[in-house]
Amino acid sequence: MILPMLEGVALPLIRATVLVRSGNRGAGAGIVWQPGGLVITCAHVVQSEATTVELFDGRRYEARLVGRDRRCDLAALAVEADDLSAAAPGTSTGLRVGELVVAVGHPLGVPHALGLGIVQAQGNGEWLRADVRLAPGNSGGPLADSRGRVVGVNAMVVSGLALAVPVETVERFVARIGRAPSGREAA
Amino acid sequence: MTEFSATDALSALSHTLAETAARSGGSVVAVNARSRRPASGVHWRAGVVVTAEHLLPREEDILVTLADGAVRPAQLAGRDPGTDLAVLRVAGEAPPVAALGDAAHLQPATLALALARPGQDLQASFGLISAVLGPWRTWRGGQIDRQVRLDLALYPGFSGGALVDAAGRTLGIVTAGLSRSGAIAVPVETVERVVDQLLARGRIARGYLGVGMQPVRLPTAFASTLGLAGEGGVIVVSLEAEGPAARSGVLIGDILVSLDGVAVGDTEDVLALLGPERIGRAVSAEVVRGGKRATITITIGERPGRDGR
Repeated sequence: MILPMLEGVALPLIRATVLVRSGNRGAGAGIVWQPGGLVITCAHVVQSEATTVELFDGRRYEARLVGRDRRCDLAALAVEADDLSAAAPGTSTGLRVGELVVAVGHPLGVPHALGLGIVQAQGNGEWLRADVRLAPGNSGGPLADSRGRVVGVNAMVVSGLALAVPVETVERFVARIGRAPSGREAA
Repeated sequence: MTEFSATDALSALSHTLAETAARSGGSVVAVNARSRRPASGVHWRAGVVVTAEHLLPREEDILVTLADGAVRPAQLAGRDPGTDLAVLRVAGEAPPVAALGDAAHLQPATLALALARPGQDLQASFGLISAVLGPWRTWRGGQIDRQVRLDLALYPGFSGGALVDAAGRTLGIVTAGLSRSGAIAVPVETVERVVDQLLARGRIARGYLGVGMQPVRLPTAFASTLGLAGEGGVIVVSLEAEGPAARSGVLIGDILVSLDGVAVGDTEDVLALLGPERIGRAVSAEVVRGGKRATITITIGERPGRDGR
């Protein structure tokens, strides 16, 4: 059973969260960024050339790496599909300490697990700080605000604190790979 | 309930939490005692800041950073390791004092925020008051009116911060220093009592016998021959010369089986009877000495401070 107040927020977010398998160090998460097949994840999730993306509904695709920026820990994958359920992007700049956030991922292999928390501190532009419990398998998954709009990409845990790449950084990254020749590093 | 209004409910809660953090965070300060480990503190009364004792490594050159970024020198009024509280006096204009809740607001399953300021900026974590239990003695020997267990994360430097409910009431001081297994809040009533005592005397008075003790178990047959209720006691293994027990005629080897009418089976039981309320009182101590019961009257002393005060 889903808490009614979470349902409208969680379901679209869960549908837009994918499982990314790459290499043999366990799976990560990803976010459907465009219905036409663009998936955003963390650079450290993409370990090998052979990467697969599995949707919430079970459909599975071979993914092609179309951009990677290790400095901000982002990677873009393309899959051959044009009807994907994409996440709704929000903004992270107006977030206030104490605002609710929702994380979706596959912590320790638990598929499409939902986490609830708050903005832990004012971000510094480079990272969003969230008081939400993450584990390996959450990397690359969405951090969303109380309306389900993506504000960041979960990237790492430091002293129990979740750090996420702000959505603004993701949008700049996506704009860069749009201009870069396909398959190259966008740096 | 439609999906739209349910989603609005989540946004409304989110808004409430952010407003609460901003408003109540105004009385949460940073405490810097030249330690690499920062601490948080709460502006508890006008000019009085409460912080976590275990994060205060020194007693001088303490600086407090207010919510508006102003840095003020602070004087230590006193510290109580037992409850992990320290009280500072801060001079000059200060931010708003915390809006204190009372015992009725301290209920399990209450949504709560821990508000902290381990540096310049306000930090928060979110969770629940998971249990409110009865009075307890901490492993550091302090008496706390109610044990308040929290299901929320305490990040580095959160100790000394405020436990705040969604209405913005401060319900206690959070600390990671009183339990290894999770976050604890020292409730308002205990903080008030400790603040009063530290402001008035600079320390928490504790009763004192001047003995070293070890628990012992008496053979069942022996205990019943003596007509003792239990089989436990504590044996006196050392004696402070001129201490309250020594002056009253207690000897090494005496087995204390009750104090002030309360049976004691462990050193913890004895310590629990040495609260400030018994200082100066003559109480009866029942001992087993040389195989016989004896009653001794001991006038409870006050435990000397670390600096001999």
